[in-house]
Amino acid sequence: MKARYLLTTAAAACALTAFATDANAAGKWDGGDDLATSPLECGTGAAAPGAPMKYDGGQPTHAPNKAGKAITVVDVPKLIGIGYFNATSKGIQDAAKEIGNVKAKTDGPTEAKIDEQIKFIDNSITSGVDGILFAANDPVAIAPVLKKALSKGIHVVGYDANATPGAREWFVNQSPFNGIAKAMVDAMAKETGEDGSFAIVTSTFTTPNQARWIAEMQAYAAKCHPKLQWLETVEAQEDNNLSFNQATTLINKYGDKLKGLFGMTSVATPASAEAVTKAGQCGKVAVVGLATPNAMKPYVHSGCVKSVVLWNPIDLGYAATYVMRAAVDGKLEPGDTSVEAGKLGKLNVINGSEILLGAPFIYDKANIDTFDF
Amino acid sequence: MSAAAETALLRAPWWLKRHETLLAIILAVALVGLGAFNDRFLTLDNLLNQGRLMTEIGLIALPMTFVIITGGIDLSVGAIVGLSAVMLGYAWKTFAFPLPLAIVFALFVGGLAGFVNGFVITRVKVPPLIMTIATLALYRGLAEGVSQAHSVRGYPEAFYVLGQGDVLGAPTQLLILIVLIVVAGVALDRTTFGRALYAIGSNETAARFSALAVDRAKLVVYTLSGLASGLAAVVLVSRVTTTRMDMGMGYELDVIAAVVLGGTSIFGGAGTIWGTVIGLVMIQLLKNGLALTGVKGDATIVVIGAALIVSVLIASSLQRRRE
Repeated sequence: MKARYLLTTAAAACALTAFATDANAAGKWDGGDDLATSPLECGTGAAAPGAPMKYDGGQPTHAPNKAGKAITVVDVPKLIGIGYFNATSKGIQDAAKEIGNVKAKTDGPTEAKIDEQIKFIDNSITSGVDGILFAANDPVAIAPVLKKALSKGIHVVGYDANATPGAREWFVNQSPFNGIAKAMVDAMAKETGEDGSFAIVTSTFTTPNQARWIAEMQAYAAKCHPKLQWLETVEAQEDNNLSFNQATTLINKYGDKLKGLFGMTSVATPASAEAVTKAGQCGKVAVVGLATPNAMKPYVHSGCVKSVVLWNPIDLGYAATYVMRAAVDGKLEPGDTSVEAGKLGKLNVINGSEILLGAPFIYDKANIDTFDF
Repeated sequence: MSAAAETALLRAPWWLKRHETLLAIILAVALVGLGAFNDRFLTLDNLLNQGRLMTEIGLIALPMTFVIITGGIDLSVGAIVGLSAVMLGYAWKTFAFPLPLAIVFALFVGGLAGFVNGFVITRVKVPPLIMTIATLALYRGLAEGVSQAHSVRGYPEAFYVLGQGDVLGAPTQLLILIVLIVVAGVALDRTTFGRALYAIGSNETAARFSALAVDRAKLVVYTLSGLASGLAAVVLVSRVTTTRMDMGMGYELDVIAAVVLGGTSIFGGAGTIWGTVIGLVMIQLLKNGLALTGVKGDATIVVIGAALIVSVLIASSLQRRRE
């Protein structure tokens, strides 16, 4: 009797899971999103500048005029306590010190959870700050609370991960998605050969940046490296152990067929490199990914990893703080085409209300030791 | 505690010695203390806003109190929130249900998920801890499979009244929570159903021999737990305007913390809805008050943990004194 109930439950669960798996659309890499892609030209040609767009950000209502006066800014990253956001936070502090009249504090959730992040921003609004810097865990879910901040006269500037444009004034874009995608796929094709097969280690299928990159990578690969073969995308949160285990599983599962691994997060890439090293597959399985230089130095020096793709997160936080100050001072207004950002010089406005930090940077054996973050 | 204070406590009227009363006093002191530090804390605006933010946890904490009073536990509530949220989006977008019907469907899925928990727990006699750990993984996996990890967005404006709007000057969802608090409180205090839950939690065998419908009562509380998680999912989707499969992750711990802080015994047989409400308000306002006073997020969690330990110590010492 009991056994029958158990069997029925198990069968029902299996049926439901099978149904869920069937819904998997063929032909798309797992972990990519459904938004339109815009792959860059193949080869080394310069990117064509996009058509100028009208400003599409939101503006604070009745913001007090604090031009030239001291302001308090709170920075709410996706999560705190990881190298990447420590670096952006350092950039913010550097810029605050340099500017002088900006007091900045970083306070965010210890896990990348959207409702926790919303509570942090909500509390900052209540405590009456002048500006909020954010890196969104979800572009849409964060919008209501950011709009509330704007409606209370608080300046809102994003960096790293965007929100819907109307919910913030400006967004500092570290590097366009299609630029990163091109750099990653070109590096992979160079290391595995044009007909290599590869797998992807990402955070989760819903994380917006990673999903965007994967979609752009697929579009660019289809256009410029059509023989590259995608095997599988696995989720590893932003967890060191899990990333290592997932990468090891991929190596064991595909054996000789696996020629390359993409690490989509600053955690997944060093963990994948470690897995390849431990499995004795250096030179046979290429690792290409986004990561911070310090974490990758051992693998780059040992020759296991040839190229690491990233922008400089310290510069990203630094630029975001300058953009905030310029927005408060009225030096950056809708329709402007560039903004002064201290040591970074003049940064250009793209896509209406985004400020472009620059092209992605590729770290290799020759230059990696000059960076320390 | 000094000897004088101890005799004073012994002579105090019974209601003062109750865990809930003591907790309420601690809460009041903490509020006044934090209020003195920060003039933005004790404002109607902030308190109502905190009410909005704590509603989802509060909705689930009510039936969780029932479940824990029967000596059970439900760890799958966070996963049910994720599954119901995904089902709401799926029904609305993919099945093209009208939104009210999609909401009913999401509630139904939540209730069904809870019913499956209760059914296996009562019929197959799987311990609740094990069953709900299993369904925690199962429901979250289903949510991910069905949604293919895609978010559903662009709900009609009218839907946002539930999660972002106000009715009679208070957040809409807070009013729903208050009504349900009263209903749950009365059900637990004043009905035979409520008495049966205490009887089951105190001594299940005795309850069975007293001809109480033990299995049916358990089935009802687990179904209610799922249903409330479904409702919390609808409120949450309306508040953040999007559906994600990772919604509600970790909710089970927040919910259980509120219930246990409110004096409900994890071994079953004791606890009240009023205690749960105080526990819920206490955690939310402590977090908020500390944040406004300038305490950083990681330090806040430490304070919450310490508050939990202290309250459990007070509760158990009171328990010993009574016995």
